[in-house]
Amino acid sequence: MPWAATERSFLDPAVVARLGTLELKARTIVEGFLTGLHRSPFKGFSVEFAEYRQYIPGDDLSTIDWKVYARSDRYYVKKFEEETNLDCHILLDVSGSMAYGSHHGLSKFEYGACLAASLGYLMNRQRDAVGLTAFDEDVVAMLPASSRPGHLRSLLVTLDRLRTAHQTNVAKPLHQLADTLTKRGLVVLISDLLDDPAEIIRGLKHFQFRGIDVIVFHVLDPDELEFPFDRATRFEDLETSEEVMAVPGAVRDHYLKQIGDLVERYRRELGASGIDYQLLNTKHPLELALLSYLSTRARAL
Amino acid sequence: MSFLAPLFLVGAAAAALPIVLHLLKREPEARVKFAAVKLLKHAPVEHTEKRHLRELLLLALRIAALVLLALAFARPFFPGRAAAATGGVTIVALDTSYSLSAPGQFARAKQLAKDAIAGAPAGEAVGVVTFADEAEIAAKPVADRVLAASAVDEAGVGFGATRYRAALSAATQAIGSRSGTIVVVTDLQENGWDAGDRVSVPDGIHITVVDVGAPPPNLAVVAVRPQPDRVIATVHNGSPNARDARVHLAIDNRPVGETTVSLGPNQSSDVLLAAAPRGEMAAVSVDDPTGIQADNVRYAVLGGPVKPTVLVVSGSGDLSREAFYVQQGLAVGPGPSGGYQPVGTSGAQLSTQGGDRLATHAAVLLLSTRGLERRGREALAGYVRGGGGILIAAGPDIDGEVVADVLGGSSTLRMEVPEKGSGVFSSVFRSEKTPDPFSGTRALAPADVRHPVFQAFVPNTGSLGLVAFQRAARIDGTACQTLARFTTGDAALLECPAGDGRALVLASDLDNRWNDFPLHATFVPFLHEAVNYLSSARAHAFEYLVADAPRGVRKVPGIATINDDKLGGPRRVAVNVDPRESDAARMSVDDFQSAVTRLKDAGASEARVEAREQEDRQHLWQFLMAAMVLILMSEGVVASRTA
Repeated sequence: MPWAATERSFLDPAVVARLGTLELKARTIVEGFLTGLHRSPFKGFSVEFAEYRQYIPGDDLSTIDWKVYARSDRYYVKKFEEETNLDCHILLDVSGSMAYGSHHGLSKFEYGACLAASLGYLMNRQRDAVGLTAFDEDVVAMLPASSRPGHLRSLLVTLDRLRTAHQTNVAKPLHQLADTLTKRGLVVLISDLLDDPAEIIRGLKHFQFRGIDVIVFHVLDPDELEFPFDRATRFEDLETSEEVMAVPGAVRDHYLKQIGDLVERYRRELGASGIDYQLLNTKHPLELALLSYLSTRARAL
Repeated sequence: MSFLAPLFLVGAAAAALPIVLHLLKREPEARVKFAAVKLLKHAPVEHTEKRHLRELLLLALRIAALVLLALAFARPFFPGRAAAATGGVTIVALDTSYSLSAPGQFARAKQLAKDAIAGAPAGEAVGVVTFADEAEIAAKPVADRVLAASAVDEAGVGFGATRYRAALSAATQAIGSRSGTIVVVTDLQENGWDAGDRVSVPDGIHITVVDVGAPPPNLAVVAVRPQPDRVIATVHNGSPNARDARVHLAIDNRPVGETTVSLGPNQSSDVLLAAAPRGEMAAVSVDDPTGIQADNVRYAVLGGPVKPTVLVVSGSGDLSREAFYVQQGLAVGPGPSGGYQPVGTSGAQLSTQGGDRLATHAAVLLLSTRGLERRGREALAGYVRGGGGILIAAGPDIDGEVVADVLGGSSTLRMEVPEKGSGVFSSVFRSEKTPDPFSGTRALAPADVRHPVFQAFVPNTGSLGLVAFQRAARIDGTACQTLARFTTGDAALLECPAGDGRALVLASDLDNRWNDFPLHATFVPFLHEAVNYLSSARAHAFEYLVADAPRGVRKVPGIATINDDKLGGPRRVAVNVDPRESDAARMSVDDFQSAVTRLKDAGASEARVEAREQEDRQHLWQFLMAAMVLILMSEGVVASRTA
């Protein structure tokens, strides 16, 4: 588990939930996150020269300045300010199922929106172009990718206006978006993926086929992962209003196996396709998702 | 089923707790809007009916456990058959004493008993008790009256004397905690109540007396005293008219003489039968075909000591000089053989001879410890420990320490005897004004009038108070029972256990030195009752009443042989009927009823005791607790499957 290996102290989602605006949340998360990085591994892809440094074994040979070597007979590497022109598209699931949330903490939608805002803030700060597509069974909001300084506000305003309502059809908007993207970049899917896994995976592979890297944040509530209910309960589907009467003690094992199988299937099949898959429990810090994003971004550039 | 502590059944209301808790804690059906409902769709769904069944079973088990707990604490039991019967009981108590042995008398009594059985209220159980000296339940109370009637048919007149106390006690026991009636079929002999006899009967039991009628005119042989050259018999005429009585003497079943004596109304007379009594047994009979039959003959053993001996230990052994009153008092009297034969000895002689012959004496009177050395003390101690009785008169010749040696450590007797002559225990340590604790005239008052020693004085025990005691020893003992006290509060007569025997300790002498007891009419009865009591633990007599016949001897008049190892082997004894039963004096029904004490709530107390005994025997609460544990274990299993 990636968050278990780190010793960083991240913001608890419960704390984040109490912060005021989405912008404040995003800035708090990202600034705190970046401050915690003592030695960023994500330098080296900017176009603006920063400094020369003597070569040390392990440095990328492509960064060696051969002209300096010719003049001085010594190896120097060039350091640049971080700056790219990566196009990032954040796909946020706003279907009814994302409205579920435990009593204390963020709902999956709030968690996803917060994550999208944080990613947007981070991307904007790194001068990547960031776009947002919100969808349920159709695309409900779309903001094209841009790296303009004012674009972040538009993204945050869009996120702020989103509401969950309808049923999910993840595959359909994925295919729609894959068809519209012309430039290689990065797609970040934030969803609970409670839909047909085969269709979703097929949609994600569509991006791969178009040469677009994909990172999937599978957002699930602790209740969905642990099923802590203890008394006979009538469960009502958030999207279809379908009801199932169940005795948790009797169905827990079956449910946990089902959800475990689902997660494992996504992890296995997406991993096999080169798609990054990250299961996010809404009670875990958002910064872990940022770390995962940055790793994927580095690979995409 | 009944309960010993029915209040605990209130605890069974706790069985409602699970239901109440269920109702109180019942929550509206939980509804949760959930995202992953589709993952629940194919989950194995538990059928509601099955779960409801399990929950009902759980509820039932929990309620059952609580109910069983309450039942166990209520101590249930099944009442016995007798107690379970709700109807009343009639017990017919039939007198079988020998006073009914006159021709036709007992047949009439049996007919009256049968009439009482037939006349018992319908639906009541009827039982039969036969009684004389002792009572016996001849037929337990049942609804079938044929059984009761056949028990009456099988009853026969015996040789015992009438004892109403035994009859009423047995009848009350047979009735138990129920209400009922005791029908006493008897000839209402006055002697049926012993002096001071009282019997307690629960208030709910009614007593009816059916009078069989006075016995016909009767002649009875009430005493036989063999002498070296003749046999003296006492014949009693119980009729209101003068009669001539023809008296016969048989020795070893051979007629050896007869004579006729004229007796006035209700008069007794000694009859001299001049025949040398050579043989083993004598039987004196009187011709009385119409009167009571059982008292027409009386037996006596020939050849043995006529009177039981009492060893009197005095200073020199000369009883005529040192124990005159005791000697004379023992020799006369109303004992079975006309008193006791005092045998005098001194402490020195006893110390020399040891205790080889002590066992032959009915009792020992210790009047002096002078010269009583260790061997003599040990002989006396062995005699008492072996079941003998000793009367100690703590007079001027008694040393308290020697007495303590004789009685052994278990008696805990302490005795302070004033110094001889001076009347001062220790003048050195006492001022002139301090009164002598041993001096001063005082009287004696029984502390326990029910004790056999005072049997002869009941109800006039005050006559003992006429004796003036000028001096007395101080006696005390934690293991001793105080039978009488002086008017000063000090103990006057103690009974101390010592081994298998017993000791009576009088705090003064018996020789008219410190008191005038021997000069009073109460002296001889006291002496005889004390010796009777002390000797009762040992079988020394050669004549027994039927009721007192030793173990192994049939309770019928005649000559019997008993084995007495302590007296050197078998010996012959005479068994005779109680002459008091020949007394035709009768009492009224009211007199009979007045001797019965009514106990309120006695029935309820008996019922409680019986209920407790039944519950103790059955121990149903243990089974209930075991069942509760099993149910709780089952509940655990079912609950774990339901969870």
